Amino acid sequence: MMWLKRLFSRRRLYGELSEEIREHLEEKIEELVAGGMSRKEAAYAARREFGNVTLVEEDGREVWQWPSIESLIADVRYGLRMLRKSRGFTATAVLTLALGIGANTAIFSYINAWMIKPLPYPQADRLMVVVSHDTKKGWTRNSVTSTADFIDFQKQNTSFEQTTGWAGWNFNLTGDGPPTLVEGGRVGWNYFETLGAKPMLGRTFIPDEDRAGAEHVAVLSQGLWQSRFASDPRIVGGNITIGGESYTVVGVMPGTFQFPLMGIANLWTPLALTDKERTDRGRSWFSAFGRLKPGVTLEQAGAESAAIFARLESQFPQTNTNLTLLVSSMTDEIGKEEGTTQVMISFAIVGLILLIACANVANLMLARATGRTKEFAVRGALGATRSRLARQLLTESLLLFFVGGVAGMFFGFWGIRWIESQIPDHIRGYLVNYGHVDLDVTTLAFTLGITMLCGLVFGLAPAFENSKLDVNRTLKEASGQASGSKRGARLRRIFVAAEIALAVVVLISTTLLVKSFLISVRSSPGYNPANVMVAQLALPKTKYAQEWQLRRFSEDVLARIQALPQVVSFGAASSVPYGGFGQAVEVEAVGKPAPQPGERFGARFTAVSTNYFSAMQIGLVKGRLFNSADEQANSPSVIINQTFARQFWPDEDPIGQKLQFGERRTVRTIVGVVRDIKMYYLRERPERQMYVPLAQFPSGTLGFVVRTTANSAAMPTAIRDAIWAVDRDQPVSSVEPLEMLMVIQDAGNRVLTKLMVFFGALAMFLGVIGIYGVMAHLVSQRTHEIGIRTALGASPGRVMGMVIGQGMKLASIGVAVGVLCALGVTRPLATVLYQVAPNDPLTFIAVPIVFAGVAAVACCIPARRAMRVDPLVALRYE
Amino acid sequence: MKNREQRDLFPGALEMMILRTLKRQPRHGYALALHIKRTSNDLLQIEEGSLYPALQRLLKEELVKAEWGISSTSRRVRIYKLTAKGAKHLEHEVSRFEKMLDGITRVLAPGES
Repeated sequence: MMWLKRLFSRRRLYGELSEEIREHLEEKIEELVAGGMSRKEAAYAARREFGNVTLVEEDGREVWQWPSIESLIADVRYGLRMLRKSRGFTATAVLTLALGIGANTAIFSYINAWMIKPLPYPQADRLMVVVSHDTKKGWTRNSVTSTADFIDFQKQNTSFEQTTGWAGWNFNLTGDGPPTLVEGGRVGWNYFETLGAKPMLGRTFIPDEDRAGAEHVAVLSQGLWQSRFASDPRIVGGNITIGGESYTVVGVMPGTFQFPLMGIANLWTPLALTDKERTDRGRSWFSAFGRLKPGVTLEQAGAESAAIFARLESQFPQTNTNLTLLVSSMTDEIGKEEGTTQVMISFAIVGLILLIACANVANLMLARATGRTKEFAVRGALGATRSRLARQLLTESLLLFFVGGVAGMFFGFWGIRWIESQIPDHIRGYLVNYGHVDLDVTTLAFTLGITMLCGLVFGLAPAFENSKLDVNRTLKEASGQASGSKRGARLRRIFVAAEIALAVVVLISTTLLVKSFLISVRSSPGYNPANVMVAQLALPKTKYAQEWQLRRFSEDVLARIQALPQVVSFGAASSVPYGGFGQAVEVEAVGKPAPQPGERFGARFTAVSTNYFSAMQIGLVKGRLFNSADEQANSPSVIINQTFARQFWPDEDPIGQKLQFGERRTVRTIVGVVRDIKMYYLRERPERQMYVPLAQFPSGTLGFVVRTTANSAAMPTAIRDAIWAVDRDQPVSSVEPLEMLMVIQDAGNRVLTKLMVFFGALAMFLGVIGIYGVMAHLVSQRTHEIGIRTALGASPGRVMGMVIGQGMKLASIGVAVGVLCALGVTRPLATVLYQVAPNDPLTFIAVPIVFAGVAAVACCIPARRAMRVDPLVALRYE
Repeated sequence: MKNREQRDLFPGALEMMILRTLKRQPRHGYALALHIKRTSNDLLQIEEGSLYPALQRLLKEELVKAEWGISSTSRRVRIYKLTAKGAKHLEHEVSRFEKMLDGITRVLAPGES
């Protein structure tokens, strides 16, 4: 309690010190007076010999204080008073900082949520994903190389505690309500266990259930359990109907359980691989991950996997040449999936914006301090040392940044919510915590950290510059409007030029990204998506075991759709663009040399109704489209896309060539070549694709496309009813306009583009504010000089030209440096840009011109003020 | 303006001189200043004021204590006394200083190299 006592007795201590000093001086004076000096002279002499009374008292008091903390409090108080006094300055600086810091807070919170925070599983750092990789061709796929390979890997590896497979799956849930398509997955029995997830009711799967022919079992999500089964706990042990078969529910997973790689999942059944699948070394349809044993590193696991696959390669050269499984951290893989690139680009951009904002504020502080020269001179004369003044200035800047940081936190929070609102519900399942992000301790610490760091770094220059004292000169100057040291002015110009350079870099980068987005949106997908409705479904194998059943179903549905009003054209395909279904087959050109082992060519395989091309308006390039003759069982026709034709028959006419494909090595004749179409992404590179008649290749997965006269609200229901009229128990995915599916798929780029537009504008705004501020300050400092010039006959136009010229010199230096920097900085953007080069000439010419134009306008305002300076007023002002 | 280092000679020197002076007899601030100045034959240019922060430091470390009293010129003054702790500290400091001085003298001594 010593410090408490001391705190209370301190006032007394200070009083005693003052009294003592007073007595000391008195005694001295008396002695000097006794020696024959006048009292006035003696008082001077005593003070001279004593030194600076205030400083001595302050030093004496400091002995009792906690070092520097208390003088810091005093500085903070003084700083707050100064900030309150100049409201305009404070408001501008705080707003600038808040925007910069807010943008960083918002973007960082996503980095934190998606890349820094551990995944919501126990010991998530031990969870590893395995992906297949072709060492020769360089491709990497999320699925395992083949079922048999994975089973060998599972048995032979010693690095993993557990490994498990999974595949996203759509289930047709019937009974207990309308038929519904439920998203979920087929998973290895230990899938939940490997993740460390526990059910809220019942249990998860046991090994015996993960075998072909075992009793059908299922696990539900809490959401499905609530919505469909009214949270009835008796569901555990009860039966549900999936694809027409009965499944026993063994457990319910809590709503908090999520596996972003699978996406939204509400129902799980065991993988239950068949014996045929278990020995299949050619294909795989599922992905896998595992939990490392404690202490095993990713590198060790990777090395072991490489060794296992080297053995498999020598054992099965026909299928396994160049193939291996790579081990990769699950956090990284989930990050790769959605949004990470966009977030990292945004983070780089907001980093630059923060620098611009900071340079802006540093400039404001420098400018303001020139107005305070006299204040500092007085304080210096009263005994303040340079370091003391610098500390005061630094405290003020930290204070300013702190206030800006707190305001920025609010902006940041708002930004987080805005970004979150832009994420379409359809992709939330692929995001950690369903894309929900909160301000947490890490983010707050980050915000506070960058705020204080910037405050320190950008406060140092003004503090250093302005604490330089020349007491005599400043106090002697009549107006007290000392124009500040030359270096201070130079520092300001450097800051502005740097700020403009940064703004140009940001503006060029954002323009490139926006341009690439606009190009991708405007580029033709190869079909006309306007007014096209898409309905998708998967027919259960149990009910539709025979080909004729599948064929009959699609024919019946198409006939009913044709009868609907407002239908312009329609068609069906085994997979439609942006639909999610898709199939690929191995292809070989007949009459060409057979491929090397391990060198297999694939192509997208789509079975289409004869009217599909005309309904989608997919253009014919060569040959002909399918007609009813092609539906005959013996007609061996196939249509390929342009890329296929170009890659397989670069110098020959593809029409009439023969194609061998699939497991049955079917041989078909090419009758037509159609345009490439975008199947999954707006920015995808065209891939080989082949089309066969749906009547010959009936498909269990179906997408119906219906072009209507106008987007009518009744259409989705009408289409669904048409399907239900054929099969009352058949669930249908939500029926949606194709254009909307495309927008959802591109949501990440859409958000990024909106952010880029905002950040680009912000950077430009801050850069222009910066140059305006400096020019306005310069003009107000030079009022006197301008007055003299005008009095001596300088025309207003000349004065204006002088100011604008000075401003534009700064601007052009900044712009030039910015353009040079941008040439280097934008290079990494190449991977995300679509049909725009990172050094796109148009952008690199247009942005500097626009920027220079806006800067010129910003200079005009202070220049006009300079022009209107009345020499009489300016000179009388003294 | 002089900075603190110049006023203080070398760190701790002023404190040492104060303690030494107070060892002989308790004094108040002004008398202390006079005594130090006089005995050093005005060789040490000390601002009188610098005495007070030093005294405050010594007070805080309880090397000296102070009491209000009446001086010979019948003024209300604060008289400083050396504490036992202060005496011990002085002894330690003086011996340290002498060792240092001895070392410096040897190095500065002419003739040898």
